[in-house]
Amino acid sequence: MRHSIIAIATGRPRAVFAIAVLVTLLFGAMLPRIQIDTDPENMLPAAQTDRVFHNLVKQRFALHDAIVVGVVNTSDANGVFNIETLSALQAISERILAIDGVVRNDVMSLSLADNISQGEEGEIRFSWMMKDAPTTQSEVDAIRSAVNRLPLLLNTLVSEDDRAAAIYVPIESKDLSYPISLQIQSIASEYPNTGEYHITGLPVAEDTFGVQMFRQMAISAPLAGLMIFVLMWFFFRSARLVIAPMLVAMITVIVTMGLLVGLGFTVHIMSSMIPIFLMPIAVVDSVHIMSAFSDRYEPGQDVKETISGVVDDLYKPMLFTSLTTGVGFASLLITPVPPVQVFGAFVAFGVLLAFIMTIVLIPAFVVRMKPDSLKALGRLKAGSDADTLLARLLRATGRLTPRFSKLIIALAVGIVLFSIAGVQRIEINDNPVRWFKSDHRIRVADAILNEHFAGTYDAFLVLTNEDDTITREFRERATVLLDSAAADGVDIAALRKLIQNTETAQGQYFGQIISATDDLLFESDSGLEPLEELLFAAEEAQSRSKYFQDPDALREVAALQQALMNTGGVGKTNALPDVVKVENRELRGGDNASYEIPATPQAVAQTLLQYQSSHRPQDLWHMVTPDFRSTAIWLQLKSGDNRDMTHVINAIDDYLHAHPLPSGVTANWAGKTYINVIWQDEMVAGMLNSLFGAFAIVFLMMALLFRSPLLGLLAMVPLTATILAVYGLIGWIGKDYDMPIAVLSSLVLGLSVDFAIHFIQRMRVLREELGCYVEATKLIFEEPARAIARNAIVIALGFTPLFFAALVPYITVGAFMAAIMVISGVATLLLLPALMSLGQEDTRMAEAGESQEGV
Amino acid sequence: MKTVITAIALSVAFAASDSRAEDLSDADEIVSLANSASYYAGNDGRSEVRMIIRDAQGREQRRQFTILRRTVEDAGDQDFLVVFSQPSDVRGTVFLVKKHVGRDDDRWLYLPGLDLVKRISAGDKRTSFVGAHYFYEDVSGRDPGEDTHVLHETNDESYVLTHTPKDSSQVEFSRYQTWIDKNTFLPTRIEYTNSAGNVYRRVEALEVEEINGYPTVTKSRVVDLDSDGQTDMQFRYIAYDIGIPADVFTERSLRRPPGEWLKRPAADQ
Repeated sequence: MRHSIIAIATGRPRAVFAIAVLVTLLFGAMLPRIQIDTDPENMLPAAQTDRVFHNLVKQRFALHDAIVVGVVNTSDANGVFNIETLSALQAISERILAIDGVVRNDVMSLSLADNISQGEEGEIRFSWMMKDAPTTQSEVDAIRSAVNRLPLLLNTLVSEDDRAAAIYVPIESKDLSYPISLQIQSIASEYPNTGEYHITGLPVAEDTFGVQMFRQMAISAPLAGLMIFVLMWFFFRSARLVIAPMLVAMITVIVTMGLLVGLGFTVHIMSSMIPIFLMPIAVVDSVHIMSAFSDRYEPGQDVKETISGVVDDLYKPMLFTSLTTGVGFASLLITPVPPVQVFGAFVAFGVLLAFIMTIVLIPAFVVRMKPDSLKALGRLKAGSDADTLLARLLRATGRLTPRFSKLIIALAVGIVLFSIAGVQRIEINDNPVRWFKSDHRIRVADAILNEHFAGTYDAFLVLTNEDDTITREFRERATVLLDSAAADGVDIAALRKLIQNTETAQGQYFGQIISATDDLLFESDSGLEPLEELLFAAEEAQSRSKYFQDPDALREVAALQQALMNTGGVGKTNALPDVVKVENRELRGGDNASYEIPATPQAVAQTLLQYQSSHRPQDLWHMVTPDFRSTAIWLQLKSGDNRDMTHVINAIDDYLHAHPLPSGVTANWAGKTYINVIWQDEMVAGMLNSLFGAFAIVFLMMALLFRSPLLGLLAMVPLTATILAVYGLIGWIGKDYDMPIAVLSSLVLGLSVDFAIHFIQRMRVLREELGCYVEATKLIFEEPARAIARNAIVIALGFTPLFFAALVPYITVGAFMAAIMVISGVATLLLLPALMSLGQEDTRMAEAGESQEGV
Repeated sequence: MKTVITAIALSVAFAASDSRAEDLSDADEIVSLANSASYYAGNDGRSEVRMIIRDAQGREQRRQFTILRRTVEDAGDQDFLVVFSQPSDVRGTVFLVKKHVGRDDDRWLYLPGLDLVKRISAGDKRTSFVGAHYFYEDVSGRDPGEDTHVLHETNDESYVLTHTPKDSSQVEFSRYQTWIDKNTFLPTRIEYTNSAGNVYRRVEALEVEEINGYPTVTKSRVVDLDSDGQTDMQFRYIAYDIGIPADVFTERSLRRPPGEWLKRPAADQ
C-alpha cells in the first residue's frame, strides 16, 4: 500500500494538493461552530453518581451557583459599619436585583436579609435588616449588633472582624457568571471611596477561565507555530523548505479541530490544548524526511526516485513512532473523564493524520520544487551541521558514554531512586481558582475574601431519611379503617385512591389524605369512628414522618455541624438547627440561655412556622425539604483545594464511623468543591490505568518492532527513567499533582519512546553494516543523534510560547513538556549506549568466535 | 387592597344594584367600596381556610385555620382571631390581631408547643403569612390611606386602578394595579410591579359566591412570578352576622380558643 501512496503523491502532486486544500476548507468551515465549556462538572460523565446527586441536591434545595461580591473597608475604624459603605452596599444590592439572570429571591445581602429581634416592650419583632440605607451612625450600630446575634448572617454576610461585607448573587445559569460579574464590577466602580470591591466564587472563576482560554487558544497555537518555523529555519536555513512541514502542521490542526467541533464536542480546557500539542508533533516526521532527502539527493538525480526511496525507507520507523505516540494519547480513553478522553482521542487522530499528511504532502511538495530550491538542499548538505556546537557535544557524548557506562548507569539508578522518593512526596491537589496566576483579580479576591469571611467555597453535607416504614405501616392500617368505613356505607373511593397511591411525594401524601378525610368526616353521617381514627393515624404518621422536625434528629445534625468544625477545615456551617435555635431564643425573650432546640417536634414545627413568617420564607427550603426528610448542611470553606476538602470528607467518615447515623438515614456530599474532588480522584486513578495500559501496549509494539522482548524492554528504559524523573521532580519541588500534570504522564510515554525507537533501530542497522559495536557507536552519534537532539529541541521549544500564557495550566504543560523532551533526549542518548555497552562485554567475547545476529 | 383573600367579604348593600346605572369616576370612592366589600362584609363573620402552598417544583405544604372577624367600626378598626388546626403539629397556634386604621395594629401570638404568648411588634406587615405567598397585610387588609389611587380604565366588567405607595420605604413594590369588579366591588386581580418595572406578584380571585347575601371570594390564588411558587386559599364554612361577642377577641382566647365560635356551622353547605 505504501508504494501506491508514494506513487500517487509523487505522480499527481497537483491533485494531492487540491484534495488537501479541499479537505482543510471542509473541516475548517466547521470551526466557527466552536463551543467552549469550562464547567469542571463536565469532567464527570453526565450519569456519574456523585454528579447526579449533586444536581439532585441543587434541585431539592433550590440551590444555585453563586457569585460572591465582597466589599472590604480597612480604612474606617468601624470597618464596613459606616454610613457610606452600608449605603453603597444597599444601593449595589438593589441594582444587582435588576440584572437579568440573577435569581432575585435568593440574593443574600444585609439589605435583603431579615432580622428577628426583641421589640421595645419585649415583643418579638420581624423586620428587614437594612431595607434602606442608614442615615445615622446609631442606625449603623443597631445593624451591627443585630448581625452579631444572627449566626446565619455573621461571617457569611459580614465578617467577624467587621472589615468586610458580602453579597451572594445566585445566578440562573453558570455561563452567565462572567458577564454578570462584569456588570457587578462596573456597578461597584460607581461607588468609590466606600471600600474595595472583590468578586469571586467558583462559577466566576470557571466562566472567566473559559473566556481567557478562548483568547489563549488564539494566541498560543499560532505562537507555537511561529516558534517551530523559526527553529526549523535555524536548522535548515531555508524558509521555502520549511513551508512544507508548516503546511502539514496547519492542515493537521485545522482538520482535527474541525472534526472535533463538527462532531459536536465542546472545547474544554484539555481540548483547547490540542493545537499546541499537534503543532510540534506534526513537523517531526517531516524533519526526518527532509533531512534524509537532503542527505541523499545529488543535483541531477531523479527527484521522484530519491524522495520515493527516502519515504520508503523511513516509512516503518515513522509509522511506529506515530503509532506509539498515538497509543500514548489514545490510552487516555481509559480514563473515565470525558474531556480527557476527547483530548486523547483527537490528539491520537491528529498524530496519525500528521503521519499520512507527511508521507503524502512532503513528497508531492518536493517533486514540485524548483531546481533552485533543490540546490538549496544541496547547500544544506554541503554546509552540514557536522561542526556545530550540538554536533561536537554529541560526538563527545558518543566517545565518553562507553567509557563511563557504569558510572552513567549508577547515576541513573541514583536519580531513579531519588525520583521514586520524590514521587512519594507528590501531593494530589487542584483548585480551579488556582488556574489563574496569583496576581489575577480573581485570585486576589479569593485570597482577601477568604481572609475575612468563613469561606467562599461551598459544599453540602446532605442527610436523608430513606426509611419508609411509617408510610408503609400507615397504608396497612388505613386500608383496614377504610374497609370498616366502607362497611358503614361511606363512599371512600377517592380517599382509597389517595391512600393507595405510592407515587405521591411523601411531603404531600399525608397532607392530601388529611384534607380529604377531614372533608369526608364533615359530609358523612355514618362511619365517623373509623374516619376519625384514620384522620388521627394520618396526622400522627405525618408528624412522625417529618424526621428533621424531631429534636433528637436536629441534635444529631447539630453534633455533625460541630464535628465538621472540629475537622479544622471548615470556616462555618449553616443548617436547620441554627434557624430553630435563633427563633426559639427570640420567641423566649432573646436570652442566650434559650439558644437551644426546643423539646418537642410540635415546638419545633411552631418555631419554624414563625421563621416562615418572614420576608424570605423560601430560605427554609434551602436547608430542609418540605417533607422534612432531607436536610442540607451548608459548609463554607476558606480553601477550594481538593486536598482540604478531602481532609474534611475523611474526618467526617471517621466521625460517622464512630457515631453511626440511625438506620435509614444516609449522609452524602454535594457542592462544587466536592465535585472537584471527585473528578480529580477519577482522573488520578484513571491516569494510572492509562499509564499502565499505554506502557504495556508500547512494550508489545517495541518487542514486535525489534522482534526481541529484550530490545523492547531496553526501549522502555529511557522513557521509564524520564517519567520517574519528571514526577520525582514534581514531588521534590512541591508542585501539586493537578489536572495538567496528570494528563502529561501518558504523553511522556508516547513521545519519549520515539527517541529510543530511532536510536535502537539505527544502532541495529549500523552494527549489521559495520559488524562492530565501537564503530557503530561512533557513527550513531553523528547524524542519528543529531536528528534525535534536533527533534527534542524542536518539540521542547515548540511548547515554550505556553510560558507566556495567562493561565497556569498552560504554563505547567509548557514547562513540563519542555522538561520531558530534554530529559528523555538525554536519557536516550546516555542511558541506551551505556546499557548497550554493558551488554557488549559479553558480546565482544562472543564476537571473537562467531558472528552474532543483531544486538 | 389585596383584599381578595379575605373570606369575610361583604359587598356594600348598594353595590349590586345602584352602581350599574352609572360608572364611578372617583378612584378613592371605588377603593373605599372595594375595601368594604373585601373586609367589612357583615358585622362579624367566620371562615375556614385551607391553604395549599406550592413551590416551583410543585411540592406542597398545607395549612388549615379558622378566621373569626368582628368589625369594631365600619371601614375602621377590626378584630381577627386566627386558630390553626392543620398540620397537627401546629394545631392550637393562635394569632390575635387588633387592626387599627391610621396607626399600628396590635398583634399577639400563642404557640402551644412552647406554651408561650408573645406580642408581635407591629413593624412590617408585608411578611409572609406562615410561609404562604400571602402577606399578613393580605389577610387583614391594607389601609387605603397608605396609597394614592388612580383610575385609568373602566371597561364592561371592571374598574382598573393603579395604586402608588405614599411611603415606598415600607413596601417591596413600586406600584400595583387592581381590577375591581363593577358589580361586587371585589378585586378580581391584583398585580404588583417592582422597581425594575416588572410584574412579580399576582393575586387572583378564582371563585366568588354569594353567602348570606354578601358576594364572597371562596377561592383565590397568589403567584410569585419570580420563584414560580404559588399559594391557593379555599374559604369554606363561611357565615356572617353570627354575633361573635367582643370578648372572644382578647388575650384569653389565645390559650383557650373559643370552641363555640370555631365549630363549623352545620347547615352551611
